[in-house]
Amino acid sequence: MSQTNRIKGGLIDRNQVMNFTFNGKAMQGHAGDTLASALLANGQRLVGRSFKYHRPRGIFTAGSEEPNALVQLRSGAYQEPNTRATVAELFDGLTATSQNHRGSLEFDLMAVTDLMAPFLSAGFYYKTFMWPRAFWEKLYEPMIRKSAGLGSLSMEEDPDSYDKGFVHCDLLVIGAGPSGLSAALAAGRAGARVVLADEDFTPGGRLNAETLEVDGTAGADWAAQAIAELAAMDNVRIMTRTTVYGAYDHGIYGALERCTDHLASSGGKPRQILWRIYSKRAVLAAGSTERPIAFGNNDRPGVMLAGAVRTYANRYGVTPGQQVAVFTNNDDGWRTAADLAANGVAINAIIDTRDAPAVCDVPGARHIRNAAVVDTVGRKGLKSVTLTDGQVIPVDCLAVSGGWSPNVHLTCHQRGRPTWREDICAFVPGADLPPGMAVAGAANGSMTLAAALTEGRAVANAQIKALGMTPSRKAAPKAEDEPRDCAPFWHVGESKNRAWLDLQNDVTVKDVKQSYREGFRSVEHLKRYTTLGMATDQGKTANIPALAIMAECTGKTLQDTGTTIFRPPYTPVPLGALGGRSRGKDFRPYRLTPSHKWASENGATFVEVGNWLRAQWYARPGEQGWRDSVDREVEMTRNSVGICDVTTLGKIDVQGKDAAEFLNKVYANGFAKLAVGKVRYGLMLREDGICYDDGTTARMGENHYVMTTTTANAVLVFRRMEFARQCLWPDLDVHLISTTDGWAQFAVAGPNARNLLRKVIDAGHDISNEAFPFMGCGEVTVCGGMPARLFRISFSGELAYEIAVPARYGNSMMQVLMEAGKEFDAVPYGTEALGVMRIEKGHAAGNELNGQTTAYNLGMGKMVSQTKECIGNVLSQRPEMLLEDAIKLVGFRPVDRSQKLIAGSHFITKGDEATMANDQGWMTSVAYSPSLGHSIGLGFIKSGDTRKGEVVRAVSPIHGTEIEVEIVSAHFIDPEGERLRA
Amino acid sequence: MSRPISLIRKGNVCVPDYTLTSAPPLAGTDITIGGARLTAPADLAVVSIALPLGGEAAAQKAIKTAFGTALPEVGKSAIGKNGARLVRLGRDQAFVLFIHATPDAEAVVAARLKGKAYTTDQTDVWCALEISGPDSRAALERICPLDLHPQAFAVDDAARTSMEHLGTLTIRTGENAYLLMSASSSAGSFLHAVETSIKNIN
Repeated sequence: MSQTNRIKGGLIDRNQVMNFTFNGKAMQGHAGDTLASALLANGQRLVGRSFKYHRPRGIFTAGSEEPNALVQLRSGAYQEPNTRATVAELFDGLTATSQNHRGSLEFDLMAVTDLMAPFLSAGFYYKTFMWPRAFWEKLYEPMIRKSAGLGSLSMEEDPDSYDKGFVHCDLLVIGAGPSGLSAALAAGRAGARVVLADEDFTPGGRLNAETLEVDGTAGADWAAQAIAELAAMDNVRIMTRTTVYGAYDHGIYGALERCTDHLASSGGKPRQILWRIYSKRAVLAAGSTERPIAFGNNDRPGVMLAGAVRTYANRYGVTPGQQVAVFTNNDDGWRTAADLAANGVAINAIIDTRDAPAVCDVPGARHIRNAAVVDTVGRKGLKSVTLTDGQVIPVDCLAVSGGWSPNVHLTCHQRGRPTWREDICAFVPGADLPPGMAVAGAANGSMTLAAALTEGRAVANAQIKALGMTPSRKAAPKAEDEPRDCAPFWHVGESKNRAWLDLQNDVTVKDVKQSYREGFRSVEHLKRYTTLGMATDQGKTANIPALAIMAECTGKTLQDTGTTIFRPPYTPVPLGALGGRSRGKDFRPYRLTPSHKWASENGATFVEVGNWLRAQWYARPGEQGWRDSVDREVEMTRNSVGICDVTTLGKIDVQGKDAAEFLNKVYANGFAKLAVGKVRYGLMLREDGICYDDGTTARMGENHYVMTTTTANAVLVFRRMEFARQCLWPDLDVHLISTTDGWAQFAVAGPNARNLLRKVIDAGHDISNEAFPFMGCGEVTVCGGMPARLFRISFSGELAYEIAVPARYGNSMMQVLMEAGKEFDAVPYGTEALGVMRIEKGHAAGNELNGQTTAYNLGMGKMVSQTKECIGNVLSQRPEMLLEDAIKLVGFRPVDRSQKLIAGSHFITKGDEATMANDQGWMTSVAYSPSLGHSIGLGFIKSGDTRKGEVVRAVSPIHGTEIEVEIVSAHFIDPEGERLRA
Repeated sequence: MSRPISLIRKGNVCVPDYTLTSAPPLAGTDITIGGARLTAPADLAVVSIALPLGGEAAAQKAIKTAFGTALPEVGKSAIGKNGARLVRLGRDQAFVLFIHATPDAEAVVAARLKGKAYTTDQTDVWCALEISGPDSRAALERICPLDLHPQAFAVDDAARTSMEHLGTLTIRTGENAYLLMSASSSAGSFLHAVETSIKNIN
């Protein structure tokens, strides 16, 4: 196919030929074309099928507001559905296909739905698919989704990469049309840091689409000169192919930059970048969008917006038709006729709804006053239009203009409401703009070129002054005020056939009227009942005419009718761009323990614990599964010695003259009298008396403490303590800093723990039981002078220590401990063995400290001091929290020792039915105890502390299990604590 | 006193059975892509200094004596004797960064301050990357929410922020050079984040 509709002129480079295909058909275009302009140049008017009725559709606009020409670009994993042909830049090798049809685009089998249109009007789904209720999810919805819809996904992983970024500026100018360029020039000349963002690949906005002059030169040339001047300024950053899609708090704007969409390949670079633009001030110069007039069969390929037809002629050197008519309610439509006629295109008629004289002289065109188009002919492409007086005009393109609507979207993103201006028949920004924003040009209702240029400069200068800078004195660029008179005219009442408003969601004038009749009269109801404006184009061309028709029905003014809420994004943002780099392994940061390298070389399987990767167990050759490894690690630790990297526990360095008092206030148990060289278990409560976190705190010196927290709560505890320090008790001299990552800390547990440590701790440090008893701590040196910290604490219940060295020596320390432990058959153990041993010992952990339990529930009620001021102790004493039959933490063992307990099981008294009403508590943690040779569990049960020996049922309806369990002490191993004091 | 088990007598000196070797997570990093170079400074010691409540003046005096430069304002850093850099992070908190290989940095600083301030060793809490070269700022733009424009972030300015979910301390160390410090346990993610940013602009 040749470029039959190519005419002279335009901003395309005819020396660069671009080959592309549409539905497999080879076509050619030029550099500077969009896919839409190239398709039109090749005479391709039919480009897709509509969403609901599968009606043949063509290209309707020349910009991002396009509702019709949605196509799929590229192929394979790169396939992207629902791309607007009007903003897709043509590149050599582009493959495009139409979407939403079965069979070919020309003979869509689903077009049969169009014949059922009388049944498919607004509210059809709501009324039809009400019952049987169960059918909705299984039958109706899948069926509807299958028949309606747009393009399809590749179902493969997106091979492109995406990025994000942050840009800062004094003034953000949104839109590089006449007002935006004028604003950016003024701000740039004043020396402000300016970002000028525009969604197009060639800045200039309507200047590139019109034949109007600025400062005596062609508008497009002036725009290019302005861009050149701005580009030469160090303080100005021009971002093309960048859509500012949302206005957020504090002057932050969201913007999507399409970096490589115009290239055949991204070359491994990010395809798109999601920018956060931090602005001190902003000028919205987003221009305006033309809207259609609704009349019968106004959706045929060849019916287009008049401004778009002009854009194709002036910017792209393409005429959308050879026999063109214009249907307008305003002066602007006339320029389409004039510009096309000047390019030698036949203008058959100018149909003006107004009874007014010609706006300008258009050679060869009939001016038909006080008239309207009532219907059209030509299923897959316009053949003729019929006027209200019955006359038929043969045309292959009808350029329609129903006036222009300022692009107020971003002014409303923080709940601003636009106001109606009768003189221009349009909504303009209201008074309630996002802080820091000002609006200029057509977006503000200043519809003429001269007004846009003047206002752009004036608004920018006001913003510059507000920033405390001095505006440039240079005058605004000059242009003439072109005629812009517009008369309100929204739809042709005489039309019998369906008159389309929302082309993308197939909403007609009749649907709006029906919505009114059925009581859905508020604009928000109208939207949801008819799906008006809910498609990917968000009703940019459809909404205002539909609101006007609703206003007609209700007899209200447009101001009183109002608009629906505008929300970000202004145009669609791919999920890939929102995800950015956060995918796969880089979805979130990972943290490694100091001995990670050693662990990965020694058979460790890792588990994610928050962001940490911790060794879960260390498999040895011949072991059949994780249980083998874990059982062995437990047994060898309890029999000799085991080593576990416990670096992940939070460490907070607490210093200050008032550190003791501070700790006494954040912990529920007493800390005022902890001696230097001693460690104490500490329990933190929330303000409401629920347990928050637990850990140990060691007093390393007179004013120096080292606190440990659970791994999960390390950050939360630090944050809460910082709040307490700064806000609750600012008079205390106390200083906090995290040292979690600074020290590699290892638990060395088991009867041989001391013997092992004696081999690495330097002589002179006496770690005998007498000199360094249970709950002792101190600074030592290891391996010939390396500073280290030693704590005699035990989570496993064994004779145990935790030894810490500077983290960069951690991997080496693990090697040394294992080397020194050889003679004791020392084993490394992971989090599973750690868990088994703490359950055997009856120590509470995350499963028990779940944010719902109190110290009383945990059997530690007496620890909560009532003789001091500390967080949570008052509210922990509320009567409801101290009930006699409150749940208590106890141990459980199966009556039949061969049975395996299940965590999450609920306890039911023997003989009672397993119902919620009979629920006695639940099993929090279970493990197979290698030491006892059977399954054991911890759990909360009502009055557990007084029910030892009783047998209850552990019921898990999810697993369908019911096991008889005996209530026992939570301390399965060494209840007297002889081992850890050995 | 019992026999020193960990020491073996060799001739007249005692040497320990075991020695520990240092392996900082980013050691040896040196990557140049386009106009940006990424290196991990070797042997960078970090010690935090907290000013005691009511003892601020004495602490400031001690700092000035110890490092030959006054504690800068919050958000600024200053170079003192022997190239030590004092970074003021908050009203009562500062870091001192200096080159020091052995694991006694905190003791060294504490000795110099003579008990007038609280000190904590932060060396291994952090990992550090220096990004330098003309593309530095463009690369950081992809992950750093801070405004690093020369007008907004002068040489020696310092600020904490979050990059790719990682808490980061950023110090402008030169015309086109920034020292970035983040948690050492997530050093791999941090290096990946910064390196990806450089790759993405080239």
